[in-house]
Amino acid sequence: MNYSDLATRLSQLGERLGRHSEKLEGENLGRSAGKLASQIDHFEEQLESYLASRKSGELLLESLLRSPASKRHLTIAQLKHGVRETCGKRMKSEDLAAAKREFIELVRGAGKQDQAVEFLKGVFAEAVHVESGGKDKTLLQREFIHLGQLLDEEFAVEIASRTFAELRRVAAVNGIRFTDKTNRERLTTLIRRYAQRAALNVPGGVPKAIGRAKVIGSN
Amino acid sequence: MSSKVLAFINFKGGVGKTATVVNIGATLAKLHEKKVLIVDLDPQSNSSLWLMRPDRWREHVARGRRSTFQIFDDALQGKTRFNFDEAVVKGVETWTGFTDLPRLHLLPAAVELLRVEDRIHELRAPVIYQILDSALGTQFKQYDYVLLDCPPNLYSTTKAGIFSADSCIVPYVPDYLSLSGFQVLAEQIAEMREKFAPYLPGRRKPNIAALIVSHYRQTGNVFRLAVNELELSMAALRAEGVLSDQAVLLQPYIRHCVRVAESTSEHLPVILYAPGSIGAQDYADLTQRFVDLFERKK
Repeated sequence: MNYSDLATRLSQLGERLGRHSEKLEGENLGRSAGKLASQIDHFEEQLESYLASRKSGELLLESLLRSPASKRHLTIAQLKHGVRETCGKRMKSEDLAAAKREFIELVRGAGKQDQAVEFLKGVFAEAVHVESGGKDKTLLQREFIHLGQLLDEEFAVEIASRTFAELRRVAAVNGIRFTDKTNRERLTTLIRRYAQRAALNVPGGVPKAIGRAKVIGSN
Repeated sequence: MSSKVLAFINFKGGVGKTATVVNIGATLAKLHEKKVLIVDLDPQSNSSLWLMRPDRWREHVARGRRSTFQIFDDALQGKTRFNFDEAVVKGVETWTGFTDLPRLHLLPAAVELLRVEDRIHELRAPVIYQILDSALGTQFKQYDYVLLDCPPNLYSTTKAGIFSADSCIVPYVPDYLSLSGFQVLAEQIAEMREKFAPYLPGRRKPNIAALIVSHYRQTGNVFRLAVNELELSMAALRAEGVLSDQAVLLQPYIRHCVRVAESTSEHLPVILYAPGSIGAQDYADLTQRFVDLFERKK
């Protein structure tokens, strides 16, 4: 059931009750009506509190503080900064759960819910911002494909002209995992293996050795 | 309201298409207060069954009437029996018995959609593409985001989805089979761009705006290398003019998460079922990037 259905049902009940109210009597009906009235009191209280917190922006604020993004990205330092920025106040709490509660209290006290919501949205947006890697990454990816297209002897010449640090950059950017213990020879093997694979799998990047084999095969 | 209509497509199955649609849709509604419509175009009805209890879904879409099937059936029969207000499901029913996520609406699918492909050739080409746009175009305007969950093929229903969308989103699993499929998909969409152009005056032509990686695992080289090959392919397809320069690979990648799989059985998006899980966290971050991309904040 949704709230719109409930509203319709309550309206219909209210209308029916109004029509017959002067005829209603008896203990069972009275007891049931008493229970319903008390439930309605409770529901009205909940609804009032919900609507008030929604109107003030507090509901969204609480929702953001409980959100998965908050769990992953939000720190006490950021909350302290947020309180300073939005309310001009200082926070005392030193653990995250308490800090979130204090954050809400201070923001509520200052009536700055909307600003606090914007602050948190900004924190989450900043946290997921990923640098593109820029031209360096593009160049190193292009170089990787180039290395994969070379014949063995050409590859050996290319690799010999590069420093170990350069090879490590090519490997790292192109998804090859290695450790501090990985030596030049091992890294070269990994680059050769995966660069050839990439050249084969990526459109227009067929390695020369395979291209040549195809020509030979077709003859 | 300026709505963004996005077709989630991949003609390879099992790439996390429905999970992406359902969970981005729910996160947009919950954390960004966006009004979202999910349109299920897949006869398998996976988005519908994720967000609705099976008994409620069966009752709702009985004989296909209150489902996307009716839109296509009307076009075939030359009738107008489809009624958006009757067909749309507002919010997601939780275990309280009441709905949550009131801003998330669903236009469910029905298995009868299977019959559509057999008969749709009875219509002429431009009419087929325009079916969805003609029936729902005005309804789309009341939403911030319209997410079209297309079936895993490139047949007529999917083409109708692509035609009515501003952009396409490609859910992707990092492996070679997905990579080869993506290359074909990009070429097909580039062809559709040419084919649809005369029927879309003054409107955006089909293009791939973003790829979303699912089922990602951080262990070892396997997935890092596969994602790198995807990036290399995207660069090659851009150079060939098949893929737009604006097409991006959205991060974070969605990691494999058992709580997301479990949430299908609970008929809830993961942000309601397990908000503390890594799945919910990944979708929250991805949705933030999604908003940044489509609202050009960064």
